[in-house]
Amino acid sequence: MDFQRIFYIMLSNSAPIILCVLGGNYAHIAGVLNISLEGMMLIGAFASVLFVSVTGSLLKGALIGIIITLVFGLIFAFMCITQKGNPIIIGLAINLLAFSITPFILKVMNTSNLNVNNIIDVAGLKINIPLIKDIPFIGQIVSGHPLVTYVSFIGIFIMWTIMHKTKFGIYVRVVGENEDAAYSVGINVNKIKYIAILIGAFCSALAGINLALEKMALFTNGMTAGIGFIALAAIFCGNGRPGLSSLYAMLFGLAQSLAVNLNISAGPVSGLFKTLPYFVIVIILSVASIIQNKNNRMRGFKNE
Amino acid sequence: MRKGKMFLLDILNSLLPLLSAFGIGAIIIILIGENPLTTYNIMFGKTLFEWNGFLKTLHFASPLILTGLAIAITFKASIFNMGVEGQLLVGGFFACVIGFCFEGLNPVVHVILGLLTGITCGMIFALIPAILKAYFKVNEIVVTLMLNYAAIEILRILTQTIYRDIGSGYVSTPTVAGSVMFNRIGGTRLTLFFPITIIVFVIMYIVFKKSRLGYEVTAVGKNPEFAEASGMNIKRKIIYIMLISGALSGLAGAGYMFSEKFKYTLDFSGNPGLGWDGMLIALLGRCSPIGIIIAAIFYSSLKTGGDSINIFTNVPKEIVSVIQGLTILFLSIRFINQNTKLFGNIMARFDSKKKKNEEV
Repeated sequence: MDFQRIFYIMLSNSAPIILCVLGGNYAHIAGVLNISLEGMMLIGAFASVLFVSVTGSLLKGALIGIIITLVFGLIFAFMCITQKGNPIIIGLAINLLAFSITPFILKVMNTSNLNVNNIIDVAGLKINIPLIKDIPFIGQIVSGHPLVTYVSFIGIFIMWTIMHKTKFGIYVRVVGENEDAAYSVGINVNKIKYIAILIGAFCSALAGINLALEKMALFTNGMTAGIGFIALAAIFCGNGRPGLSSLYAMLFGLAQSLAVNLNISAGPVSGLFKTLPYFVIVIILSVASIIQNKNNRMRGFKNE
Repeated sequence: MRKGKMFLLDILNSLLPLLSAFGIGAIIIILIGENPLTTYNIMFGKTLFEWNGFLKTLHFASPLILTGLAIAITFKASIFNMGVEGQLLVGGFFACVIGFCFEGLNPVVHVILGLLTGITCGMIFALIPAILKAYFKVNEIVVTLMLNYAAIEILRILTQTIYRDIGSGYVSTPTVAGSVMFNRIGGTRLTLFFPITIIVFVIMYIVFKKSRLGYEVTAVGKNPEFAEASGMNIKRKIIYIMLISGALSGLAGAGYMFSEKFKYTLDFSGNPGLGWDGMLIALLGRCSPIGIIIAAIFYSSLKTGGDSINIFTNVPKEIVSVIQGLTILFLSIRFINQNTKLFGNIMARFDSKKKKNEEV
């Protein structure tokens, strides 16, 4: 077993999950269940790769990808907050749209996947941090990731600071705790929720860019493979705390990384390891819920 | 009068999102340089307005009615069983295993055995999230979604290794034995599966509308705290609801296997799968049994029509799922509610006319 490689892939796989966790956290705390992180990530991945191949520039493509994902975030927010629709159903619809529009456009373009390898040099995007890369063992794990992977880990602190040290963060938490109370002291509840959802869309777009553009320079159908839902599970487990949720996200990253590595050494039944992350999530979520609800005497179940 | 008004509102609230979704779909078709009217004409002309085509539509509506019911019963109770897709796949797969493992059984016994296996497997697979939700308050959306992915992977491995049909050129299980294949009735596409579906539908209708369980499901959905306070055992209700949902999905998978596919391939349920279509149908039918059956037939015509647009036009058949997504998006909000002015005015006019008539 090559531990260096396992941990490197763990960090690399955790990045999109952490980004989704950080973005989804705001909506979760503001009391909106956003299950469309998955779809938004796919849209972000697809749009960024598509527009890199159209414009021929990495920066322009990434920017347009983020903007398009934000438009989907706006649709979600409009339907859910202004029109007061059921967020779960809207989220499902956005996921379904993302998973049908992307193959539709690919079919119209007559390709099975989008490859921008000729425009982007994936190996060149990896940033080697000076000094740190020379530390034995750890250096090779921490260093050599693309930019957004670093952004995701720095993002944990940024998001924590926004949540706990700024006025906006306090407003978000107040809105989540008690909407009527927030309304009565003059907080614009809808505006806060809109911003919370848009932050989620922005982070999902970054996750998509990280997944498709930076690591592979390639878009294939349904490439997000449930990462958005894994992030959702991490948010539930962490119960709204960015640090703790990110820790869970890294745990899932580890499960995925183990699955990839065991895959190579195990032979014919190797596919079974692919199911590992999903079962790990179910188990962790169950344990977390049992602990959270140990002293709960509430009747019925909470309608989310 | 009030009931009639609500009924009209419900119909309008189902029709308007549908029209909007088709409108946007038309814009997309124009954008890729095709004619939306011919496309829609091809889509519906053959599937709804020709007798044989209509029977084919009914045939493909059968699994959709079952998955629609499976999702509607959980939606009614405010539980979100997103695992219908996985339960359907598991049910279909193991029904298929029973189908090809036993040769030369009495057809009646074999069919019953196969369908029961499908139902049981669907129920067992639904039991996991049900227990977690009922006793440990674990969010069922995440669990069912994750189990879907796990089910797809595990079934893929089983199909590739233990149950692989070596003779076949692509990854699939062996074909089921002739004794479980449903014969076509009188040269049409209809098989035994459709009557079975209708029987199950009638049973579910009675359960929804007349039984104590149906009332309790609605009560749990409206206000779980009150339901528990008034003496219902919520935990047991959640398990019942999920078991029924799993059984319906498992039956849908098994029936689809015996009437249409005959072997498990990796794209058994299509993309998006029958379980996701069930979600649209439950929403479109506003979770009422009659609504579900109309929605299922309509959506089945859309789907079977999608295959013919692939042949006759240059529009990719993914347009059907795009329209599906748009429809769900628009269905999530109520286009008009009782307070909408325009609608209120029209209704008021009707009311006054009626009054006048009565006076006369």
